[in-house]
Amino acid sequence: MKLTILSENLQKNTSLINRIVSQRSQLPILLNILLKTEKGKLQINATDLEIGMQTDISASIEKEGSVTVPAKTFLELIGSLPVEKIVIQAKDGKLEVISKSTRTVFQTTPTDEFPKLFEEKGEEIMGFKSEEIKKDLNMVIFASSQDTGRPALSGVLVKKEKNELFFIATDGYRLSLKRKPITGKVDEWEKPLLIPARILREVISVKQEGGEIKLFVSNKSNQILFYEQDTVLVGRLIDAEFPNYQKIIPSDFGTQVLFDREELLKAVKICSIFARDSANIIKLSFQKEKIVVSANSPSVGENTVEVEARLKGEENEIAFNARYLLDLLGNISEESMVFEMTGPLNPGVFKIQGDNTFLHIIMPIRVQNEG
Amino acid sequence: MNSPELNELWEKTLGEIEIEVSKANFLTLFKNTSLLSLEKNIASVAAPSTMIIDLLKKRFHDLIQKTLEKHAGEKMDLIFVPKTMPSKKEDTGPLFIEQEEKRKITIGHLPRVRQEYTFQNMAVSSSNQLAYISAQTVSQKIGTIYNPLFIYGPVGVGKTHLMQAIANHVYQKDPAKKIIYTTSEEFTNEVVEAIRTNNTAQMKQRFRSVYLLLIDDVQFIAGKDRVQEELFHTFNILIDNSAQVVLSSDRPPQEIKKLEKRLSSRFAGGLTVDIETPDFELKTAILLIKAKKYDIDLSVEIAKIIAEKVQDVRSLEGTLLRILTEAKTLGTEITEDLAKKTLSGRGEEKKEHIHPEDIIKNVCVFYNIKSTQIKGPKRDASLAKARQVAMYLLKKELNLSLVEIGNILGGRDHTTIMYGVEKIENNLSTKTQIYSEIMGITKNLRE
Repeated sequence: MKLTILSENLQKNTSLINRIVSQRSQLPILLNILLKTEKGKLQINATDLEIGMQTDISASIEKEGSVTVPAKTFLELIGSLPVEKIVIQAKDGKLEVISKSTRTVFQTTPTDEFPKLFEEKGEEIMGFKSEEIKKDLNMVIFASSQDTGRPALSGVLVKKEKNELFFIATDGYRLSLKRKPITGKVDEWEKPLLIPARILREVISVKQEGGEIKLFVSNKSNQILFYEQDTVLVGRLIDAEFPNYQKIIPSDFGTQVLFDREELLKAVKICSIFARDSANIIKLSFQKEKIVVSANSPSVGENTVEVEARLKGEENEIAFNARYLLDLLGNISEESMVFEMTGPLNPGVFKIQGDNTFLHIIMPIRVQNEG
Repeated sequence: MNSPELNELWEKTLGEIEIEVSKANFLTLFKNTSLLSLEKNIASVAAPSTMIIDLLKKRFHDLIQKTLEKHAGEKMDLIFVPKTMPSKKEDTGPLFIEQEEKRKITIGHLPRVRQEYTFQNMAVSSSNQLAYISAQTVSQKIGTIYNPLFIYGPVGVGKTHLMQAIANHVYQKDPAKKIIYTTSEEFTNEVVEAIRTNNTAQMKQRFRSVYLLLIDDVQFIAGKDRVQEELFHTFNILIDNSAQVVLSSDRPPQEIKKLEKRLSSRFAGGLTVDIETPDFELKTAILLIKAKKYDIDLSVEIAKIIAEKVQDVRSLEGTLLRILTEAKTLGTEITEDLAKKTLSGRGEEKKEHIHPEDIIKNVCVFYNIKSTQIKGPKRDASLAKARQVAMYLLKKELNLSLVEIGNILGGRDHTTIMYGVEKIENNLSTKTQIYSEIMGITKNLRE
């Protein structure tokens, strides 16, 4: 194998590849990445056996071939090279990376030990504008559970209903739901998909300019595959039943508050300093023209922050985990938001002003009354 | 073939493969595999991902096939199917269960109170259940329900743990509340100091303004009149203010000698609960809790072995640490054998060396009498005392039965022995003379 490549092209997705490569695998081969020449490009393969990625990078190929190298050191080296042409060549079981001023030799492992990422792409079931889908997913993914004990909650449910697509994620204490109208072809596909949050997070972080993301599913192997221009991410659908989420969405409310997202985010950030020592609990008190955000920690102190707001209906109070509020307010980009609630023990609903396609529900915390 | 049979066949196969391949390969590639079906000489093997299947096919196809054929007793072909194993917890669990505020342990703690003494980490069994529940109730309903709470029991059963758990609980609920935890000795010192520096007003103010007062080992105020008077008034004021008082002692209030009637009746005016010596099960549970504290992976079997051998609760922790150190020095795991070996090296052998006659000889030497006198019928005061000390030591050191002791001491009735042992026990904590005599004799015994 011998090729010439621009270092900046190679650098574009190094952090993503680094995350895919398993960090502490017991199998040495999984600490490596596979480099191979493919249709006039250099293809990098990485996997931790759970998800895999493949990215093609433009290069000028002199001699075809393939090789595996230790991922961490290779990527670190690439990352520290200046923008210039570099030559990569395999020679006598070693890989040389030569730039204007550096010359590096890597030990390699036989390439046939490296697992194949997928047998077949499967059927294409839908395509999205890359930017749009990344924004939509961002509003949902953070609500999924990190707890592997409940596999169904570690994914995002994607389903079709009438002419809309639904993205839903919940960790049992909060739930995020985003709808979007269906454009393009999705006719034949009916079955809801439960996609691991981890692979979606990586899909979001793929750096490609303004393209389209295509989604392929292979029913035979329960495999899901995302295509964005030159990059492929592959994983497996979660084989579990998503809980019935409809019944927890409140249908009415007694208090409705219109507020500025940025302002509330700032207030929660300040209060979370004091909430840290008391189980991260933050109280929101909705009054005429304002929301009073407060937190107290018996041994440190307490603070309150007022945020301008417009109240409709009764004054009310509720307590949330600060982290959930920070996650929500930090992952939304719209400015005006609406909060609706019935009572301090019932789930509170966050919406985006003038946009009924998004919904976020958080379960409040019952606060012990003093004395 | 049904699925238990398939599982069994697959387990056998994996068992053999495990020996053949490296640990890394086995853990990453084989661990989550299973045998789905076996029909017409075709075995379908499930593995969690296509990448894993690819590696299995490339590197272990022949090994799996051969091993499986050997165990199934027939030729077969393999196909691989990507499928995750249903995890053990298939239940998705409830959504949006109510969350309760969990108060974290606050920064700082009460003076003299150890933070780790909480209700959560106390082992409870029938011997201390009543005390545990009462203490919990008191901590939740300060001053209103059992006031005072009087906890008594022998050493090392967890009286202090319970008292401090109450203090910690109340403190965590509201650190602003004034809580004093003290021992009766410290209380005495404070009273004496206040009298000496002519500063009693300040001391009174300190104790009489509390929300919760806990006094440990209250039996030691016996015989100290001025301290008792001070405690009496403090006590009355606190109860009137519906502040909570919690006391502990090694015996019930009525049995504390040289305690003023008005005090002992007040001590008994709330709820008096006792804690008995922990049974075997409780000791095992305590060991497991302690092991967790030190992050030791202690099996129940080993905990049982230790609990069986060690009588005193306080030395449980020490013994556990000794075994841990032993294991670390030897660079091995904590095994049953190791525990047994370590345990046999302590205490027990000394006891084996002590003979009942040794005790009698030592007692006689100490009190300067003859062994025939101690076994004889005479009941002079000096003889009787030596005899009772001998009874006590025979009981405590060798744990002989009352009847046996009676026989050794010249055929005395077991009730006589019981009376003698109890009398010394009672005197031990109040009369320093007896205490030092007994310590002297035991010291001689051990040498």
